[in-house]
Order: sequence, then C-alpha cells, then structure tokens
Amino acid sequence: MNTSHDEDQNELRYAEYVLGVLDADARASIAHEVALSEEAATAVALWQGRLTPLVEALPEVTPSEDVWTRIRHALSWDAPRRTPRPVSFWSSARPWRWLSAAASLVAVFCIAMLWRAPVRVSHEAGHVAVMVSSIRQDNGITDWTATMDLDRKQIVVVPATATSVPTGRSTQLWLIPAGGAPISVGVFAPDTTAVLPLSAQLLARVGPTAALAVSVEPPGGSPTGQPTGPVIAKGALSGVPSPAVAG
Amino acid sequence: MSVTTVVPDHGELNRLLAQTAEGDRAAFAELYRRTSPRLLGVCARMLADRREAEEVLQEAYVTVWQRGKAFDASRASAMTWLVALARNKAIDRLRQHHHATADVACALDAIADDDPTPPLRAERSEEYRRLEKCMEELEARQRGSIQEAFFSGMTYSALAERAKVPLGTMKSWIRRGLLQLRACLET
Repeated sequence: MNTSHDEDQNELRYAEYVLGVLDADARASIAHEVALSEEAATAVALWQGRLTPLVEALPEVTPSEDVWTRIRHALSWDAPRRTPRPVSFWSSARPWRWLSAAASLVAVFCIAMLWRAPVRVSHEAGHVAVMVSSIRQDNGITDWTATMDLDRKQIVVVPATATSVPTGRSTQLWLIPAGGAPISVGVFAPDTTAVLPLSAQLLARVGPTAALAVSVEPPGGSPTGQPTGPVIAKGALSGVPSPAVAG
Repeated sequence: MSVTTVVPDHGELNRLLAQTAEGDRAAFAELYRRTSPRLLGVCARMLADRREAEEVLQEAYVTVWQRGKAFDASRASAMTWLVALARNKAIDRLRQHHHATADVACALDAIADDDPTPPLRAERSEEYRRLEKCMEELEARQRGSIQEAFFSGMTYSALAERAKVPLGTMKSWIRRGLLQLRACLET
C-alpha cells in the first residue's frame, strides 16, 4: 500500500532531479524514467513548473554575437545544402516517429539490464537473442548502452550520460567484427534513445566476437564508409553468435 | 544578431517554439533573440567560465531546433521548457567535468539574494511572485539551500561540504523545504 510518506519519497526524487542535486548516475536513472513513463514525465514537468520561476531572480546575460553564428553553423544553415541519401533517411523525422514505439519497448528491457553487468547475455532456449554492451570512453565512463536484438534485427542505443559531441557533428555507430574493418550501423542522435536497424548483410559479417564503437563524423555520417573522425567510445559485444547459430 | 531583453510573453513564446519545431528559421531566430539572455543568465551562474556557458547555450539551442517537437504546451510554458533544457545541459556538463563550483557560487551569492533590485521586480511574473511568497515561508536555511542548489547545480554532497554540515542535514533541509514548497504552491 502506498502511504503518503512513500509518495512523498517518490515525488522527492523528481524534485531533486529538477533541482539538480543528484549525481550523474541518479540523474541518468531519472532521465530514463522520464523518457519511458508518462507519470515520471508529468511529475518532472510539474516540478519544473514550480521551481523554474526562480530564474527570474538571476540577471540576464546577453550572449556574444558569435553564439548565434555558431548555432547557424552547427545547423549547417550557412553551408550549401548537401543531401546524400543516408542523410535524408536518418534526418527524416518519420522513421524515428515510426520506430519510437518499438524503441520504448526495447528500452524498457535495456534499462532493466543497464544497472547490472556491463555485458549481459540473455539465453533463451539455447540461443542468444539480445546482447547489451556498455559503450565507454577510455576513462571508463559509459556514454551509451547498446542493446542488440538479433530477433528484431535492430540495435537500441540509450544515452547513459550526456556526452558532449561537437555541435554540427554526427555520432555514428560502428560494428567491428574481430579482425575486420568497421561496418557502419548508422548515424544516431547522441542524446536520445535511438533505434538502428541491423541489415541481414551486416549480421552476416559479424563473427563470434565483435565490438561497437562511436565516432564523431561530419553531419550525416562518414562520407567514406569508414570512420573518419575520432572514436570517442567503444564497447565489447561478447557472445555474438554466428547467424547460423542465432536462428 | 542583436539580442533584446524584452519581458517574454508566454503565448508568444509558445507560438515561436511551435513554429521552430515546424522548421521555421525566422521563428527560431526570434525565439533565440527573446530567450537567450535568460538562458545564458542561468548557464553563466552554473558554469564558471563564460565561454563554457556560451557553449552550453549553443548546444541548448541546437537541441531546441532539432527536438522542438518534444515541447508539449499542455505541460509547460515555452520558457520553462527552454530553461529546463539549458539547465539539464549545464548540470550534465558540471557532472561530467567535476567542476569545483563552490568558489563561483560564493562569488555570485549576491545574485541569489532575497532582495531583488527594484527594476527587476517590476518585470517578474505572477508565477515568480507566488513562488517567492512560498519561499519566504520556509526556514532561512531551507530557503537558502534550495536557492543555492537550483542556481549552482551542485550535488547534495557539494552543498553539504560548502555549508559545512553533514550530508544528511543538507538532504533533510532541502527535502523538507521542497515538500513544504509544494504544499504552499498547491494551496
């Protein structure tokens, strides 16, 4: 039974998130809840409404002129428009909207595992269906958790912390077969749950062990098909079955 | 682009944000003009470095352009949504770089003072006046801690260290203060 004390405790977590007193892990946990639960999103929005008027006590600070220029630049407004095919797909809102329902479902599963082992393998009836990998920086900070779902042939990438990616650059996910060249999985938004389809060709090229890597690329992704920018985080995917075993 | 500091009107900002979400560049520029001084004020208070505060501001507006559709006018005013977005980015950056913000917070303490300068007071919203009234009902240390937490983005432990009180004491001041504040705002 929920006592009013319990309700207060739960309510306070959202208030503390909005106030900004939680550490990075606790913040990430609430951010996940907000992304998945209408109830959590509403509670957070209510606290934002309650506390945000405080900012009116702060003096306003006029940004330097070049901030606007940098925003325009980051959005590639000043550059001639380039429309390579992959860009038009990834930047189009429609596939993302369509996939968001699926993303939510898989993300629930992903989060359940997020707080456990960095790599967790689910065995069902002897075959590996889902693998989770923590994609980390060299300093050990987890940037994203990727859940590879072989049955659905997709990978769900959930941000664990706010990763600072230079504005105007894209983050691209790569699957690296053992001893092989990186294969592009796709460009994804670094700060929100992303679902990327895994093509049959891609799955066919994944051996028994593979790694994931995220590189920073020009808007829309690497123009060469191989990482061109710095690799900012990597993660191991162990126990990837060969496609023949997977089925 | 020149930036003006007009008092933002909720309906107008909501409309500009909705148009921004539809890809209207002129609306986005206007939204930036009207709201960026407020957002930079918030970021500059949290991040020691002006350059870094402007970087966060830039990131925030790029996100506004890219994800403006996430704004739900039935849930929040545009200004509340924008401030929350900028604060989240600033707090995430603080956590990422493990900044020592205490000194900055000290230096800027006057800003969070309860006694606003008269010209500012006239510009304040109804919501602010209501919140201010409820804040005044809190114990001084509860009020002070909540304000400091909100403006600085510091964690419980950093706040406790700075106030030289045990962590549990700081948590209890803030938590009781928050619940009391909610009760007051709901009456």
